[in-house]
Amino acid sequence: MIAPKKAYLARALDDRVFSGVAAATLLAFAAVALWPGLSGYRVNIVGQLACFALLAVALDLIWGYAGILSLGHGLFFAIGGYVAGMHLLEQSVATTGITPDIVQFMGWTALPNWWGPLGSFSIALLAAVAVSFAASFAFGWVSFRSRVGGVYFAIITQALVYVAMLLMFRNDTGFGGNNGMTGFQTIFGVPFQTPGVAEGLALASLGALGLTLVGCRLLMIGRFGRLLVATRDDETRLRSLGYETLRLKLAVWCLSAVIAAIAGLLYVPQVGIINPRVLSPELSLEIAVWCAIGGRGRLAGAVIGAVVVNAIKFSLSATLPELWPFVLSALVILVALIFPNGLLDIGRWRPAMLTRPGALQPKDAPS
Amino acid sequence: MWRRSLLAGLLGAVVACGPAAAAFDRAAIAAQACGGAAGMTDAANAMAAGLVDASADDAKWTVALAGAAIDRGLKCGPGGAMIVRSEGAVNAVTLSPVDGGGGTSPLLSLKNRPLFETVRAAATLRSGATADERGAALAALERRAGSLPPEFFEKAAETEADAGLKARILGVGQAALLNSPDMPKRIAAIEHIAATSDRRALTRVDGLKSDPAYRTDPAFRGAVDEGVASIGRWLALSNALNVFYNGLSFASILFMASAGLAIIFGLMGVINLAQGEFIMIGAYVAYAVQETLRAVAPSLIDWYLIAAIPVVFVVTAGIGVAVEATIVRRLYTRPLMTLLATWAVSLLLVNLMRVAVGTQNLQFVTPWYISGGRLLMGDFIVTWNRLFAIVFAAVTLALTWFVLKRTPLGLNIRAVTQNRAMAGCVGIATRRVDMMAFGLGSGLAGLAGLALCPIYNVNPQMGSNFIVDSFMVVVLGGVGTLAGTAIASLGVGQINVLIEPLYGAVAAKVIVLLMIIAFLQWRPEGLYAVKGRRK
Repeated sequence: MIAPKKAYLARALDDRVFSGVAAATLLAFAAVALWPGLSGYRVNIVGQLACFALLAVALDLIWGYAGILSLGHGLFFAIGGYVAGMHLLEQSVATTGITPDIVQFMGWTALPNWWGPLGSFSIALLAAVAVSFAASFAFGWVSFRSRVGGVYFAIITQALVYVAMLLMFRNDTGFGGNNGMTGFQTIFGVPFQTPGVAEGLALASLGALGLTLVGCRLLMIGRFGRLLVATRDDETRLRSLGYETLRLKLAVWCLSAVIAAIAGLLYVPQVGIINPRVLSPELSLEIAVWCAIGGRGRLAGAVIGAVVVNAIKFSLSATLPELWPFVLSALVILVALIFPNGLLDIGRWRPAMLTRPGALQPKDAPS
Repeated sequence: MWRRSLLAGLLGAVVACGPAAAAFDRAAIAAQACGGAAGMTDAANAMAAGLVDASADDAKWTVALAGAAIDRGLKCGPGGAMIVRSEGAVNAVTLSPVDGGGGTSPLLSLKNRPLFETVRAAATLRSGATADERGAALAALERRAGSLPPEFFEKAAETEADAGLKARILGVGQAALLNSPDMPKRIAAIEHIAATSDRRALTRVDGLKSDPAYRTDPAFRGAVDEGVASIGRWLALSNALNVFYNGLSFASILFMASAGLAIIFGLMGVINLAQGEFIMIGAYVAYAVQETLRAVAPSLIDWYLIAAIPVVFVVTAGIGVAVEATIVRRLYTRPLMTLLATWAVSLLLVNLMRVAVGTQNLQFVTPWYISGGRLLMGDFIVTWNRLFAIVFAAVTLALTWFVLKRTPLGLNIRAVTQNRAMAGCVGIATRRVDMMAFGLGSGLAGLAGLALCPIYNVNPQMGSNFIVDSFMVVVLGGVGTLAGTAIASLGVGQINVLIEPLYGAVAAKVIVLLMIIAFLQWRPEGLYAVKGRRK
């Protein structure tokens, strides 16, 4: 039965967890916008968490709904990040005239000419979207066309991001090599130290997260989302019913890549640096870990996972950084063994399930 | 530059005075040696020319005089030249003791010093007591062979008793003949040098292109060109062999790292992201065995690589079994979750090792049986440490093949790989088979770590350097067949090594990845896909 049009938005908020997360995003937005007592550091953390949550939502689209695990989403995040880096450098040079360090250590006399147009924000945004779309389309098309999926797809995407990291570590590649890009002075002509810039960036990230959440949720409860879930659960049957699953998978893959690139675009101005370390396979794996810990296939789980894991990471890196890998691996193993669909299942857990692993496996959860 | 012009000048001097100074006149030479810089040059030249026909006694005297001049033991007094030694002064001509008072020691000029050193080495070659001593003298002469009369080496070879040294002397003589004024001799020498075909020979013959004769004498030019081409061909061949050999050793490591992955993947559809850490643990266990041997039986320490084989296999296989039983087994229907869980295991293992042992590279003893190598031809050296890895991988391949094809466990593994449900129906304990196979795969990774420790740096992060490459091998080779894994490792290993010197290591990785993606367009399930319906 197709629900009447009017109830569409209401249906999107049917899921209580989703509504909760959406409300929390709104609340954070309001807090950053209206509460002057929030320190700049906190605002910055909130902004970064929003970017990570956005990145996790991107991965959840492809992994949670389409059942395709990408261990290379750092690549698209980095595309957005590097475009943001180039935009901010062009910007800073144009408004302050200060020569950034990258010109010096790359042995240039000025920023490359072809970066020039990126000084305009709309062109930079367009470039980030276009490049991430093109890269994901090319890679997705060759992979899905030959029906590479499952574990194969996961490790090939991992190899992809690894190779990209090696490339960007080289100085000859032309994007700052090992040092990456840093020393951004201004954004939209306003110096970064100006009060309100951090708030603006956090608000932009939170806004992007909220819009993406609602938009993706609407998309996923609609026809497209149901077809995706069907592809995940029984691709052969869907194909024999006459659906071209290649198009479905390609569409969600490219959408996911573009969202990841936007997350990167928003992230870099907040941390003030982009370097090849965002391309390390570990970071891309961590994105999958956020989704796994939060719970897949519900968008809200991705946000919860990203926020919880990164909040622990931030607080530990201030006090006991060497403890972090142990906590992370323990979290992953715990979730994998006891909460197959992440922390969203915490309410359904019973002690008896310890002896019957997999009992929590929900019917609609991807493998 | 100045050295070359010096040699040229020297050559001229020797050639000019060669025939005139055939007789060996000790008194005249000793007098010349006291005659200032020009006199010393004359003395050196006279000795060099005289050494061709000199008796053993004359040669010994030459050693004494040239040595004295070099070590500032030569004294020129009113009573003629003297050689001052720690036990007293002797007359420079007769070597009989004299009173060593008075006189000055002439200083060897920069120009004369190499002349005297050459003369001393040449004389030592003719009169040295042991073959070692003469061999060392010959080695010293090798670079300056041109400053001696060409006939000198033929004469020296005639009187040489040691057969190996005789051949070497002739070889050096041939090289000296390159500078002979006699054109047929020069050409013969070029051909002789071209026969050794290493990089040094190439520079030597190639250097003759700047010789005036290269432009004027067509026969000489032909010989030089032919020599350069011939050495070039051999060098190209030996370079190709070197590349192939390095690729083979890299492929061996890749094979051992990925054989276990492929078996596990074929059997359970699970990729073990902790495979790299099993490699690392293998290397650390080998280190522990080495240290234990050092403490318990220091005389046997060279054999730690062999002694560690069973220990490494048992320890890493045990850890593998434990990981399977506690984690992987519980995630059967969820291969992607297994991927994350094994990644967590790898993170845990790396950090445990980092905390327990530290991040520094481990120091391994290099046993005598894997140090050095053998120069086979041109520049192609078979190094024993790489050969060890290759042989080790070949033996591992043979044993793994045997286990899979000829033992009950192998039969079970193959049965479960082909059809898990049916294998279970006929009474195979599939979970047990999984556990054993996981252990086997982890043990193989541990052995890869053992084979790595003489070649690579061993530290907690070492596993991550191999893991992406070995995944690519598994993707390329397809699952469940050892042959696919072996061929894919060879392919990835060779292509990496082949591209690396041309475009760099990063480009090699990029190209290999692109090739694999392209290859998957053609065969999505790897080289050796199991025939059947596509899933």
